[in-house]
Amino acid sequence: MHTDKIEKFLEKQKTALASGGQDKIVSQHEKGKLTARERIHLLLDEGSFTEIDALTTHHYYEYDMQKKKFFTDGVITGYGTINGRQVFVFAYDFTVLGGTLSQMGAKKITKLMDHAVRTGCPIIGIADSGGARIQEGILSLDGFADIFYHNELASGVVPQITASIGPSAGGAVYSPAMTDFVIMVEKAGTMYVTGPEVVKTVLGEEVSFEDLGGAMTHGTKSGVAHFVAKNEYDCFDKIKTLLSYIPSNNTEEAPHVATDDDPNRMDHNLINKIPENSLQPYDMKEILLSVVDNNQLFEVHELFAQNVIVGFARMNGRTVGIVANQPMYLAGALDIDSSNKASRFIRYCDAFNIPIITFVDTPGYMPGTNQEHNGIIRHGSKLLYAYCEATVPKITLVIGKAYGGAYIAMGSKNLRTDINYAWPTAQIAVLGSEAAVKIMNKKDLDNAKNPDELKKQLTAEFNEKFANPYVAASNGSVDSVIDPAQTRPMLIKALEMLANKRDKQLPRKHGNINL
Amino acid sequence: MEYKIAEIEAAFNGQVLQKTGESDYTIKINDKQHTLKILKMNTRGIEFVLDSHVHTVKYLDAGTAQMKMVVDGTPFTVNMHHSLNEIVFKNSGGGDSGDAQTALHSQIPGKVVSVNVSEGDSVKKGDVVCVLESMKMQVSIKSHKDGTVKKIKVKPTASVAKNDILAEIE
Amino acid sequence: MIKKVLIANRGEIALRVIRTCKALGLKTVAVYSDEDYNSLHVKKADEAYHIGKAAPKESYLNQEKILDAILKSGSDAIHPGYGFLSENSDFAQLCEDNKINFIGPSAASMDLCGDKMRCKEAMFKAKVPTVPGSPDLVKDVNEALDIANEIGYPVLLKSVYGGGGRGIRLVNSDKELKEAYETVTGESIAAFGKSAILVEKFLEKIRHIEYQMARDKHGNAVHIFERECSIQRRNQKLIEQTPSPAVDQKTRDRIGELVVKAAEAVDYTNLGTAEFLRADNGDFYFIEINARLQVEHPITELVSGLDLVKLQLDIANGEPLPFKQKDLHMNGYAIECRINAEDTFLDFAPSTGPVPDVTIPSGPGVRCDTYLYPGCTVSPFYDSLMAKLVTWGQTFEESRIRMLNALNDFYIQGVETSIPLYKTILKTEEYKKGNLSTDFLKRYGIIDKLTADIKEDQKQKQDAAIAGAIMHSEFFRSKVKSSNTPSHRWKSHMDRR
Repeated sequence: MHTDKIEKFLEKQKTALASGGQDKIVSQHEKGKLTARERIHLLLDEGSFTEIDALTTHHYYEYDMQKKKFFTDGVITGYGTINGRQVFVFAYDFTVLGGTLSQMGAKKITKLMDHAVRTGCPIIGIADSGGARIQEGILSLDGFADIFYHNELASGVVPQITASIGPSAGGAVYSPAMTDFVIMVEKAGTMYVTGPEVVKTVLGEEVSFEDLGGAMTHGTKSGVAHFVAKNEYDCFDKIKTLLSYIPSNNTEEAPHVATDDDPNRMDHNLINKIPENSLQPYDMKEILLSVVDNNQLFEVHELFAQNVIVGFARMNGRTVGIVANQPMYLAGALDIDSSNKASRFIRYCDAFNIPIITFVDTPGYMPGTNQEHNGIIRHGSKLLYAYCEATVPKITLVIGKAYGGAYIAMGSKNLRTDINYAWPTAQIAVLGSEAAVKIMNKKDLDNAKNPDELKKQLTAEFNEKFANPYVAASNGSVDSVIDPAQTRPMLIKALEMLANKRDKQLPRKHGNINL
Repeated sequence: MEYKIAEIEAAFNGQVLQKTGESDYTIKINDKQHTLKILKMNTRGIEFVLDSHVHTVKYLDAGTAQMKMVVDGTPFTVNMHHSLNEIVFKNSGGGDSGDAQTALHSQIPGKVVSVNVSEGDSVKKGDVVCVLESMKMQVSIKSHKDGTVKKIKVKPTASVAKNDILAEIE
Repeated sequence: MIKKVLIANRGEIALRVIRTCKALGLKTVAVYSDEDYNSLHVKKADEAYHIGKAAPKESYLNQEKILDAILKSGSDAIHPGYGFLSENSDFAQLCEDNKINFIGPSAASMDLCGDKMRCKEAMFKAKVPTVPGSPDLVKDVNEALDIANEIGYPVLLKSVYGGGGRGIRLVNSDKELKEAYETVTGESIAAFGKSAILVEKFLEKIRHIEYQMARDKHGNAVHIFERECSIQRRNQKLIEQTPSPAVDQKTRDRIGELVVKAAEAVDYTNLGTAEFLRADNGDFYFIEINARLQVEHPITELVSGLDLVKLQLDIANGEPLPFKQKDLHMNGYAIECRINAEDTFLDFAPSTGPVPDVTIPSGPGVRCDTYLYPGCTVSPFYDSLMAKLVTWGQTFEESRIRMLNALNDFYIQGVETSIPLYKTILKTEEYKKGNLSTDFLKRYGIIDKLTADIKEDQKQKQDAAIAGAIMHSEFFRSKVKSSNTPSHRWKSHMDRR
């Protein structure tokens, strides 16, 4: 019965699945890009995808657009599961009118985002779009604005992830920028506000798409991309891994992953990773990897601002956010980019109930006009603000140097850090000994017969008196000096103690973090 | 779904036909049907009876396109979606690494004893780029292609893990 | 009488020595570095002393620290195992000076044996034939090049203080020699603390045949049969067996006599091994004396019925050998496979890390000397030998089959091992027939055979693999039901509208 109606429905479905047509699909493949539906199927668990709004079309008629109507109108939306967890996903379909965003497309995306926010599930967007559909003019721009508004509504409520596997240009790049994590695929994803042609016309500067806004550029220079994927498979692998560390919404905790890694595992070799000479660099990652479960650290912004390391790891099965200075780059000094990188990460963890563990070995802030003129003061203050604002469990471990303002900024006690530990090798002081002596003992040095020898002596005295964790320990700025071999068990115990921490801020609309 | 066992280059079509009980299934591999009963299963592995044989499979790694597992003691690499490989690897140079062309990976974990080239040097395939030490043996890591050393990513005394990038050679 | 023994070593050999000491009622003392806190040998000894950081020169090669441990523990004897300080005559002398019974030869004899040049001279005088090569240590790479060109490539670049396959490289040309010279020097210094290089002619299709020798402090000397160790890679032994298929009783006796002569020529005491190369025409050339207990000593133990560590202790106690040469008879056949933590396909690159699970084979005629236990770690600071799997059979075939079965039962999780390689080798016709030579792997394309064997194995298991892959996605699909029940926290957030 009703065979003709059934046939009509099946016919429409078939057309919808064909997206922009076979020839467009072939052309997409030739560029080395998968189609939107192929991507969704790779990302989600086999057979779990349920599409919505498959039969939408645009309703525009200027420029003869009624002759170019396609089902889905350039963006595929729907829901499914990733490793069993419900997620919402939308993917721009480059085969339909170049994946350009129309009023209907924006409606679809915002409808999907509403679902995600109401049900408390992550949103994943796959960007591969020519940008605004020029024919629709302002309607398209308004569409973008609506999406941005929904990005804000969802921000801090559910995780928002963007995979950039194609162009995003002009206004379109702002949606990814508002999401929590951006993954760009090398030689496929590009993001820029003004494209190379306009750059050439206006400034006479010649630059390729990749150099201007490709994955590596944003992964290393601008920090727009949190992750750089080698290819689309790698991109989806990274998304799945990322999701495994974070909760589905801001009321939940991240999934607990049971581990065989003994929570009481000691590492007597840990102390040997710090060179005797405190001026010698070492790789902080070695220490981090030893302390966390199963040597696994999922780094965020791995190639950007490498003087600080941020990322997710697990401690006895529970996700934690790690923030650590990296002495191998800029001697672990803080600067504009690293302050931004760490602050954003801390605020993400705070929004999603992820405890933060900070590992400190920093000589201070990078000096110089470059930093000052570009506002290290403003950017540095973000780090302080983020630590203070965070009400998730916060633990800090000082491993080496912690001088002056950088000591304060890296999760010091009075930023309301819950537990502060230090290794015996910690040097918590207002300044490095050399600098301190120059200032404090200037008169003595000026009048000395043998200034060099006096300097040596005073430096040694300073080191003895101040370049250690004991002054801090004696007045409670450090809760305990710990045996490095016990680092992992001590951190896990602190985390367990803080598991049910509840803290609140005074009511206000929101603070005024220096942006 | 389509699967391919990388090592023996054999392609298969596999799916679950029916769930016949709490932990019983009928599955199809290519054209043959099999009965499968799960004895034990979690994210790290599965013990099951396939037709009448008991097998143990440990999952070492499961990504979007590739699964590494150990089946009754034998290692396997199973690729999924391999028909999409050509498209996905078009721009990234194929295989496991998108940057296979430039990146020189370390085959072994170890400590860097010496770096034998500098950035800007031109090297030929087989030239020693650096020397690693592990298990009291010194292993020379040789360049995988002719080219110029664009970047050196390690220094002496650094520890590297298996597959870490040691240098980039253009 | 020795009452307390400190074992200046780690891993499987430390365990093995501790076992014999315990059987004889002696007290045992272990030493360990930062890496070995949780090692079995530390747990099995009566006392244990921490001697330093992971790097060998900070711990197991550190003579002062070890002497300190000996004195603190009140040990009256020290067993050096193999490798580390076992052939360091300075250390042996240090023990002698401190009146500690060093279980091995005298420092003087060890010094002579360790100096390959002087040793060669001593053999020459005793009319024991040796291999052509450089008359003395080469001063630098240029002299090495000259000699290599004189005796003709291919040649072996050998560190005088080498052993255990380290500090030896085969080179075929001037270019290779120059490259290898640096590496050999480096390896030698890293492992033994010293370096000095020799050049030696490399003979084709040779068999490595060594003899166990024992000489007490009263001048009585015997040989305890030969071991064939021809299957090697990069001059490190992989499989050893006894008796050798290339040695008949007449040859055994003839070379055995040379061995006794060699021991006397260097005034050797305690246990040692005389290594020979047997050329394809049957000629035997003396290479060197290893002045210590060998890794592969278990196969000799299985065919002789002796406990060689006990024999070492008896000789160290000043007792005469309890048997004469005519009393020693070989019984049966024994094979040893060295289970290394290596990736065969990455040119045997080291594989390190935690070993969450391990199943050790056993049964009649099966012995396994190992430091492995579930939850241990294979350290990158020390060599790759994880276990010695040894089997004995009344016939060669019986010991071979037992070894294949034992290899199948041996499961080590977490690191790559050489187990698949041995299975392939033991199944080849050439191995069964005893056509062994030091280039066995290359000559018979063993790596290719191994790849083919693994593929065959995979073909057998392919259905199970696909079933495993299918069920992996099915697992998550079945989890959807439970994870879609919204979390109570989310829903219970009662916001006012």
